[in-house]
Amino acid sequence: MPRKVGGIAAFALVCLVAGGVTPALAQSGDPLGVGRKMLAEDNPGELWVERGKTLFYQKRGPKNASLERCDFGMGPGQLAGAYAALPRYFQDTDAVQDLESRLVTCMVALQGYKRGDLAKTAMGNLDRMSDVEALVAFIASRSNGMKMNVPLSHQKEYDAYKAGEYIFYRRNGPTDFGCITCHGENGKRIRLQDLPNMTDRKQLQDVVTSWPAYLGTQSNLRTMQWRLKICYWQMRLPDLAYLSDISVAITSYLNYQGNGAVIGVPGVKR
Amino acid sequence: MRKMIVLAGSTSLAAVLIAAGCASFPDEATTRQIAEKMMHDGFPGVPPAFAKRVAQDRSQQICSKTGNAKLTQQESADVVKLARASIRYPASGKLIGDWKVGAKLAYNGSGSRIRGGKLEKAKAGNGALCSNCHVLNPKEFNVGNLGPSLAGYGAQRGQSEAVARVTYERIYNTWAYVPCANMPRLGSSGHLAPEQIAHVVAYLLDPQSPVNKR
Repeated sequence: MPRKVGGIAAFALVCLVAGGVTPALAQSGDPLGVGRKMLAEDNPGELWVERGKTLFYQKRGPKNASLERCDFGMGPGQLAGAYAALPRYFQDTDAVQDLESRLVTCMVALQGYKRGDLAKTAMGNLDRMSDVEALVAFIASRSNGMKMNVPLSHQKEYDAYKAGEYIFYRRNGPTDFGCITCHGENGKRIRLQDLPNMTDRKQLQDVVTSWPAYLGTQSNLRTMQWRLKICYWQMRLPDLAYLSDISVAITSYLNYQGNGAVIGVPGVKR
Repeated sequence: MRKMIVLAGSTSLAAVLIAAGCASFPDEATTRQIAEKMMHDGFPGVPPAFAKRVAQDRSQQICSKTGNAKLTQQESADVVKLARASIRYPASGKLIGDWKVGAKLAYNGSGSRIRGGKLEKAKAGNGALCSNCHVLNPKEFNVGNLGPSLAGYGAQRGQSEAVARVTYERIYNTWAYVPCANMPRLGSSGHLAPEQIAHVVAYLLDPQSPVNKR
């Protein structure tokens, strides 16, 4: 074996061994149960999924193109299991991206939309439905019944995970709140709103496998980007930028810990 | 996860991994640098008046330990010292105000939020946010449970000057008593004025207040 190849083989071996020390994450969930549950529920979020499916294959935008060439990490147009492995690092943008930021990258690059315009309309209301929310719902739903499988291999994925953890515990603003303040103990509420304990593996998995979700109080489907923006608003921080690195890092931290849990979206929430 | 961090932390393996060019978790200083840049960039176009909401003060930095890491004795002492030094009292010197005004404040969870770069309008000043996390009037059910129940607070403690002072200070800056407690430092952050806090103290202590009725 030539010396150079041997070096690469040794490199691969060391990395393989290092990767191998990651303990197997708790496996939970029942794929059939997810299907049963969804059939049993009258889930308004399905309307967003259907609309998102139509939008995905339609030729749209200034470039009159569909999203079928968008690569969500499994290859162009490959949607099955893509959401289960997000956020992840993408070489073309040299960044870790969650589903929503990847979608916007494609809507800009393939369809010619302006990023600023998408940011303004991404969170819809009763008068104006959002295309982005519908597309996120559709693409995420193509991972239903599959297990979360977020990768941790590129350096920027490790960086995003640790930054997400740091930010989760970072107390800031006039309320001195961090994510941990409201999401660190079992059985807690703000007024009557239940707060999941995100330091508990089972509760975390239930959360990350059920966003995007239809929210009764919003009469709308919402994404994790929306959820985090509203958290920061309640914490009295300034407006969190749409698709900020903050939200991607927190999502990386949470979704990776969700690995092994079965996805069933859109969830239905209060 | 923990196992992996421990292993990555062991010098020999870490050295091998770095030499091999493998990706791994960044160390604490690098993590802070990356995350703080994200925080700095995450709120673009912030009016200067709100920019300090993103930056942490010294106490917040101390209170942001990840995982189950505990405060050192020195850190606890520093947080308490900074909290004590921040406390101001009403110009009138009266620590017990009007319990009826306090009642309104205690159930008001609004004020000081920012949307579209603009501060939320709050005619009567910011709400005191109490009911978001505490039982107050035991007959009111739309209350949170992040903090302990305060039903019967005054009935149990009386209305002495010492009780009024402790109650006032624990609302003004609770970290003077419990460093890094979940509760906001409502007076020190400027969220509530000293007079507003005195009204809330009255709501907790006054025998006529629903807090102290059965």
